[in-house]
Amino acid sequence: MRASLAALAAAALLALPFWLPSPYHLHVVIMAGIFTVLALSLNLLLGYTGQLSLGHAGFFGIGAYTAALLALKAGWPFWLDLPAAAVAAGLAGWGIGRLALKVRGAYFVLVTISFAGVISLVSVNWMELTNGPLGLPNVPAPELFTLSFRTKAAYYYLVLAATALAWLVCHRLVHSRLGRAFLALRENEALAESVGVDPTLTLVLATVVSAALAGVAGALYAHYVRFVSPEVFLFSYTVTMVIMVVAGGKGTLAGPVVGAVLFTVLPEALREAIAWQWQMLAYGVLLVLLVFFLPRGIWPALSGWRR
Amino acid sequence: MDALLQHLVNGLVLGGTYALLGIGLTLIFGLMNLVNFAHGEFYTLGAYTTFAALTLGGSNFFLAVAAAIVVGAAAGALCERLLLAPLRDESIDTTMLVMIGLWIALQNAELLGWGGVAKSIPHPFPTAPLTLGPIGIAPLRLFVVLTAAALIVLSWLLIQRTRLGRAMRATFQDRETAALMGVRIGRIHTATFAFGSALAAAAGALLGPIFLAYPSMGDLASLKAFSVVILGGLGNLAGATAGGILLGIAEELGAGYVSSGYRDAVGFVIIILVLLFRPAGLFARAERIG
Amino acid sequence: MHKRWLTTLLLAFTLGALLAPAGFAQSPVKIGVIQPLSGAVAASGNYVRMGAEIARDWINAKGGINGRKVELVIEDNKSDPKEAASAAEKLIVRDKVPAIMGAWGSSMTLAAMPKLEEYGVPMVVETSSAGNITKSGNPWIFRISPPSEMEALGLEKYVDKLGVKHADFLAVNTDWGRGAAGAFGTMLRKKGVEVDAPEFMDQAATDMNAQITKIKASGGDTLFVTTAVEQITLILKQGQEQRLTRKIITTGGSSSPSQLIKQAGAAAEGTYHIVFFMPWFPEAMPDGKLAKAFVDEWTKRGHPFEGLTEGFRGHDGIATIVEALKLAGKDDPKAVRDALWKVSFTGVNGPIKFDKDGPAGKESGQSKPSIFVVQIKDGKVALPDFMARK
Repeated sequence: MRASLAALAAAALLALPFWLPSPYHLHVVIMAGIFTVLALSLNLLLGYTGQLSLGHAGFFGIGAYTAALLALKAGWPFWLDLPAAAVAAGLAGWGIGRLALKVRGAYFVLVTISFAGVISLVSVNWMELTNGPLGLPNVPAPELFTLSFRTKAAYYYLVLAATALAWLVCHRLVHSRLGRAFLALRENEALAESVGVDPTLTLVLATVVSAALAGVAGALYAHYVRFVSPEVFLFSYTVTMVIMVVAGGKGTLAGPVVGAVLFTVLPEALREAIAWQWQMLAYGVLLVLLVFFLPRGIWPALSGWRR
Repeated sequence: MDALLQHLVNGLVLGGTYALLGIGLTLIFGLMNLVNFAHGEFYTLGAYTTFAALTLGGSNFFLAVAAAIVVGAAAGALCERLLLAPLRDESIDTTMLVMIGLWIALQNAELLGWGGVAKSIPHPFPTAPLTLGPIGIAPLRLFVVLTAAALIVLSWLLIQRTRLGRAMRATFQDRETAALMGVRIGRIHTATFAFGSALAAAAGALLGPIFLAYPSMGDLASLKAFSVVILGGLGNLAGATAGGILLGIAEELGAGYVSSGYRDAVGFVIIILVLLFRPAGLFARAERIG
Repeated sequence: MHKRWLTTLLLAFTLGALLAPAGFAQSPVKIGVIQPLSGAVAASGNYVRMGAEIARDWINAKGGINGRKVELVIEDNKSDPKEAASAAEKLIVRDKVPAIMGAWGSSMTLAAMPKLEEYGVPMVVETSSAGNITKSGNPWIFRISPPSEMEALGLEKYVDKLGVKHADFLAVNTDWGRGAAGAFGTMLRKKGVEVDAPEFMDQAATDMNAQITKIKASGGDTLFVTTAVEQITLILKQGQEQRLTRKIITTGGSSSPSQLIKQAGAAAEGTYHIVFFMPWFPEAMPDGKLAKAFVDEWTKRGHPFEGLTEGFRGHDGIATIVEALKLAGKDDPKAVRDALWKVSFTGVNGPIKFDKDGPAGKESGQSKPSIFVVQIKDGKVALPDFMARK
């Protein structure tokens, strides 16, 4: 029964561009895919190791800028600048991990916020490298030999593949020994240490993978919107990611996916349903209500009902 | 040399208000373990309340500021009772998310209610600056720094000398024992949140006339408040005061001598350095309130 | 409880839309509008929207476009480029608008531009100032606001009359501020003026004392300020506190001198401002009657006077699109785009006609807006002595 449901879902996903009513819907789905990768990445830290990273927009932005700069200034193809973006973000993750993970809890939160803040200011002020606030327009669309991924349908499949890959990476990681170490650290660090888990190493690894995934999302964003500016470091991106993970259900693999899809679709749905004056207010109120009624997140509540 | 003195004076004035913001948040964050993203919104509320009292209510300036503080406390208490108390057993992420929702809702409600145009808050002080040799300071700013100092002293007295303060400190140090000793944890939470929010509202009421009142003014304030909390150590009042002043001066000197574009980076870099080398904060002897 | 409230609101909205006066037989012509209606620059975005609504109502009062009513579909870009792109997509695909006006900030406009090319829909840019908007080879862009380079050229003839010999810059750290500092710096240097390195401040910054202290020590005689009115107010007040006594010239047209007088008081005295609309003496505008009528209508609607210096952009943007729609004869995006090249009329700012700009074969349209300088004297806005009245 479950296998056939999964097969049906997979078929629906693969045929998506054909049954969605308009390119606009496809656009929303593509954005949802990019944010799913982001949410999954944040979930590794937030959900599995229990560390609240509020600087994740920093890794996203580093990925976006790396991809855009390599494509525009060095002429690298998408297939090279995407892994490069992951590496760059991963390196940043390693740096932050080593620095920040000497501290825990509230302090870690603040280091991550500061990191994102500094990177944001660098991107605005280092004109020679990033073109500052003027941004980097005309990032080229990916190409595979003669096939161009400029069209939405093609890009959708790209994002779908990337999302599936990200999910797979998270799945394998979480179910591995390292994943169990994450959980052990989340539940009781002292105890975990006593059974041989090296907290700093484990957490740094988690940060690196998490950052690299966020970098991948950044590269996908850069080649889709095709314009990168310091706004990618906006705190609102981090806030959105946090909302997606926590409201979706942190510490689960499906939670961030649900959260990402819901909170990408929601603002767009509000665009249709409510006059512009009330959209953001409605968003805030809905969020508060959601947390109130489903404090553990949507996915845990849903899977709880099924039992 | 003149410029340096002026920078220092500017930094001191700014730092006093950062300290007010920081004290409020360090209490909330420290005692309630709450990542309070809505802190800046109480700052904004303070500024708009002052504006409303002055223009719609026709009251005098000092009463308006006092009204802002009272409204801040009341709003804080209400939020705590309605939104936080029911979620007290939830994780830090859940309560943080509720505060994010509150932040978005409050800011956009303000946008809807007051419009996006910045409001100038009238004040009775003369605009000509008082001069002390090469340094100039506007009378309004002098008022702000003195009032901030007074509020900081009052806060310290409240924490150190009153029963409520003792109960707050006890809850912060050891919640379970405090409960066993008869401290009503729920009441302490409400009081703490109300108090912290009142201080944020005070900062808004004081800074509003200097700068301007507009719906998104709280975002930067929140960020600075978090920085001050780290500098001073969680729950450390004296630390937050010193941290606030330090941040104000560091920002001024950074913008003046290093680069104006990277001004805010100074604050961030300081935080990172502090956390690397003295994670408990620059001034912590022990992490406690007081 | 909230769900019921929301549903009621939705029902009311739908009912309202259905019961709208049906004085026009055919379907309305929709024009898309993308502006920052929430977030830090919500005030400006809303002023542009108000101006656009006046244009729409005037056109509809005169019978619309060939008997069809004009309808504005307004989207909020939340000051976020990603949202601007989404809004453009939604307007083009869901609402099927033949043309859009937007998106205020240069980053927002640049983010929406690929969508315009993807679907082939023209956009009239009413505020953005970044040079590369019209130079990146996007043939669907038509701008009626001046890029910073054009604005600097507009001031060139007054530099000697103003007596500028040594200039400093204080600009907001965005594409707009940086672009202005660069463009004006280049123009001034060509005229032999000594120009110091520019100072910047973050868009959300409220304390510019450090920058002002630095500028005070530079020995210059003129300070160019490029930012929005709130920060200009703060700069003027903080400059006054620090006893900064030099000529101040604001650029960019978002200075709203009336608001400065209200909020900065004596600190604003003597300052010069580059504006693109002079609501204090509309008769001096190229089409004095139209300008006066716009000011009167704006005031009648109870909109704040200070918003006029930005609101007119909304009017001119919509008026331009309507002209093109009339010339095209149908609301097909490509026809509208071709018609935009033929547009030639006078808006509130002045004559609007598009010249080719950018790489050959893929030119964008750039109009040459009128640029004015005003001065705050005795607490009122006046023409500077050296500017001859028409």
